[in-house]
Amino acid sequence: MAGRASIPARNSALIAMIADELCPSVSYFVSCVLDTVVGFLMAGVGNVDIRRKTNYRIVDSKTTVRQIEDAFKEFSSRDDIAIILISQYVANMIRFLVDSYNKPVPAILEIPSKDHPYDPAHDSVLSRVKYLFSAESVSQR
Amino acid sequence: MAGAEEIEICEGGEESIEAEAKTERGDEKVLLQFLDSLDGYLTLMDSLNSKLREGWFDLASARHSMGTLRINTTLLDLKDHSASSTLQVTDQEVESLGSVHCFALSKWASKGGSGKGKDFSTVADSEMGSPRSPQLRHRGVSGEKPSDKGETTVLAADEEIKKERAKSLSVFGGLVSPKLRGAQLSFETALETLVEIANTRSSMLTAFERISKK
Repeated sequence: MAGRASIPARNSALIAMIADELCPSVSYFVSCVLDTVVGFLMAGVGNVDIRRKTNYRIVDSKTTVRQIEDAFKEFSSRDDIAIILISQYVANMIRFLVDSYNKPVPAILEIPSKDHPYDPAHDSVLSRVKYLFSAESVSQR
Repeated sequence: MAGAEEIEICEGGEESIEAEAKTERGDEKVLLQFLDSLDGYLTLMDSLNSKLREGWFDLASARHSMGTLRINTTLLDLKDHSASSTLQVTDQEVESLGSVHCFALSKWASKGGSGKGKDFSTVADSEMGSPRSPQLRHRGVSGEKPSDKGETTVLAADEEIKKERAKSLSVFGGLVSPKLRGAQLSFETALETLVEIANTRSSMLTAFERISKK
């Protein structure tokens, strides 16, 4: 797996999601259960197999870091998944794992969530390439 | 004799200078491609952000009109079903970058009786669900026959997509708010943007690897 040189062409690959859901705040009575997962499921990306295994993982206040790590490891090792969408807020909880991931497929895309806008400074892809713009790399040339 | 040797050395020197210049041009091309991809990546992320905001806002509006209990994750369909929107991953040869992974989105692929899905590729995406052109609305007799078959196919495809969209919303009940349909379209658009981001990411990382090796 880790040593394969080329990625075979995949047809009908899935999009996995690890995104957060806000629990409704009773004190404010605000319908703030705004869920990225619900939105993308409406767009048709949801997949449930015979064993009731889904291609999405909802992260709420009760979800532990370990569970998020397990979900990430599971999705990143599945052959039928081509893209993993992960809320950047959730990715920050397992930042070391996301940053150490370096396979081209499945592609890890960090997306904003409602209360946590996208921050380019934390994006794992941009962190990898910012080396080119650092003072050290310039001095080495 | 000495003169001939000198000429040979000069020609050899010129060739190596030319080769060096060619290599340098190639390196600059890769660097430019990397910078273009980086710019594209950031622009697309910004675009994704606004599309997601539209979707979240429409979802909130739908929840306001339909009620919180009717739109939440507990209603998600946990019966086994396949994804209607899937991806194809291929390797494409890009000049000066080599092989780059390319993602293509197939939205609302219907599962017919034969088990084969009909793909509604993202190429004609924005036009699906609405008439491609005013010609489709003309019901009158026309001397031009070859386009009829194409129009019928397009109409049939539009109908299939409408069915798939309605099926996706059916978990929230029979009658849904127009805002929910709007949210669905917003997230569909966000999905297309995500696939573009994935492709841009792929070319950016490929270019980065080429530059890092030098």
